[in-house]
Amino acid sequence: MKRPGLTASMLWPALIVILPLLFGPLLVLLHESLKPHIAGRVGGDATSALTLENYALLAGPEYAQYFLDTFRIGLISTVLALMLGYPMAHFIVRRASPIMRRILIASLIGTLFLSLIVRIYAISMTFGSLGPLAGFSRLLGIAPTSPSVAELMVVLGLLNTTMPLVALTLIGTIQNINPRLEDAALSLGAPHWKTFVQITLAMSVPGILSAGIIGYAFCISNLVVPMLVGRGFVLFVSNLIYFRFSEVANFPSGAALSIVMMVISLGIFYGLLHLVRTQWQEAGK
Amino acid sequence: MAVLDLQHIRKSFGSFTAVDDVTFEVNKGEIVALLGPSGCGKTTTLRMIAGFERPDSGRIFIGGADMELRPPYERNVGLVFQDYALFPHMTVAENIAFGMKNRGTPKNEIAPRTLEVLQQVQLPGVENRRPHALSGGQQQRVALARALVTRPDIMLLDEPLSNLDAKLRLQLRREIRTILASFECTSIIVTHDQEEAMGLADRIVLMNRGRIEQIDTPARLYQSPKTLFAADFIGHANWIHGTLSKAAGDAGIVATPVGDVRVTMRQGSPEQGPVTLCIRPERLAITDGTVEPATRMQAIAESVDIVGADVRLWSRLKDGTLVQSLDKNIGRAMPQPGSEVMLGFGPDDCVVLPASDAA
Repeated sequence: MKRPGLTASMLWPALIVILPLLFGPLLVLLHESLKPHIAGRVGGDATSALTLENYALLAGPEYAQYFLDTFRIGLISTVLALMLGYPMAHFIVRRASPIMRRILIASLIGTLFLSLIVRIYAISMTFGSLGPLAGFSRLLGIAPTSPSVAELMVVLGLLNTTMPLVALTLIGTIQNINPRLEDAALSLGAPHWKTFVQITLAMSVPGILSAGIIGYAFCISNLVVPMLVGRGFVLFVSNLIYFRFSEVANFPSGAALSIVMMVISLGIFYGLLHLVRTQWQEAGK
Repeated sequence: MAVLDLQHIRKSFGSFTAVDDVTFEVNKGEIVALLGPSGCGKTTTLRMIAGFERPDSGRIFIGGADMELRPPYERNVGLVFQDYALFPHMTVAENIAFGMKNRGTPKNEIAPRTLEVLQQVQLPGVENRRPHALSGGQQQRVALARALVTRPDIMLLDEPLSNLDAKLRLQLRREIRTILASFECTSIIVTHDQEEAMGLADRIVLMNRGRIEQIDTPARLYQSPKTLFAADFIGHANWIHGTLSKAAGDAGIVATPVGDVRVTMRQGSPEQGPVTLCIRPERLAITDGTVEPATRMQAIAESVDIVGADVRLWSRLKDGTLVQSLDKNIGRAMPQPGSEVMLGFGPDDCVVLPASDAA
């Protein structure tokens, strides 16, 4: 028998931690973002009246670029991760022998245990001027010092985490698709590619979107990757927020950036989740 | 003319031989059941006919054409899966149209044929529903419709009724037969359920350990099984071991621990030597003295089971063999447990099988 009272009360420990430690600081941040900033001072001016000036400044085109860069590069990395991760997950579920499957899943999880810093420096050394792949950019016809190479490195850095993350999520999705459905499609005259597109891929769409949301959340909130291999050419909003708080000590502006970023991100995620829930409700049942 | 012709099919998975030298034909319009216990190779045989597995050796012909190099999507075969395998992300109509689109049915024919086939399986008005909104029996019919609408050369049904409850199973069994007959569709039904096979099929291919034990009509398979396995798998049976010696004409005498038994020799049954007698429970009657059966055996009644329309009496013969006899439940007094009973049967009531250690 269900005991709603007990179930609900089990929420309390988590709520006691989350409410003061997450929403409390968020409220402080929101308050900070409304304080006027006086150059040379650390933190907003608490004595003056609250203002929306910090937000107004962010409307300028130079800020829009940071947001666009963040969302664009995040999207490229996520789409690449899905394009690489889906075939990998499909192979693991449908083709690999049990031993191969275990090895592949273990190595995917293994990469996630490796510190992101280690992996980023590995990329930066491999593609750096003395690394084995130093000539890589020349193959693409771009100068090794160009902004495009920096962007490429950021994408690679993000892929390093998103690819395993996305592949592991998609394994569950593909596992839930009854292989008999593919047999049924084949017996109804659909060749392998058509069966794959109309059955396997079509039924994976909710899973692909979920995996994409997880990957995208990781990408656009990333600080370390653009910081280490973006070489100043590529800066995410997180980097900007970091600089506002640490280098120039403009707390109100950093806070306003944080709030704006949070609102946009939440908007995107709820939009996507809503799409998944309404459009593909019955898939996988 | 044979629509399907299997010649010496073999298939192994590693060291396990799933299908061993299977040969049979299915004629046009015929319903054939592949019957056997799990692991007997019936599903592997079905998957080879459909093209999902390739035989290690042997040949498969459908409609006279060699299927060796044909992938599943180039064989005109309709499949109904045990779990129906309806596409959950498509409506019933889209499910049914899927095969027609891939087989090149003209666009303007697809919608009318979808509605028509739903009429034929007695499920009109569900074309815009999703499969999960239908009951098990309805999903079964949609699966049938989806496979039948492309007018396949042969229909393959894999355990079509095993996911339904007993009552629905009986009703759907009749309906499936009617539907398959109305399409004049040649069909193969894979099942482990002998009742399903006997109720649906014109002929039964009985399989055991990858090999065919016997191919026969349901009635003949029950009445004259050729092997101990066939006699044991289909229905219930009492076993009496003995030694056969030939008497005059087609009569024989089997010396058994419970006395001599007179039997009728049939074509193909052993001539002499160690044999096992198979007596169906409904042929082993309690003799009340009014008729004099050819063979009489004394036994001690042990228990009486009332199984709906029938009464089953368990009794023990002198040598300790437990036997069952089946009688109609029409209110006749049954012997008390522990009392002595006389059981009897005629020379035609038992089947003489070569003895083996299988049973």
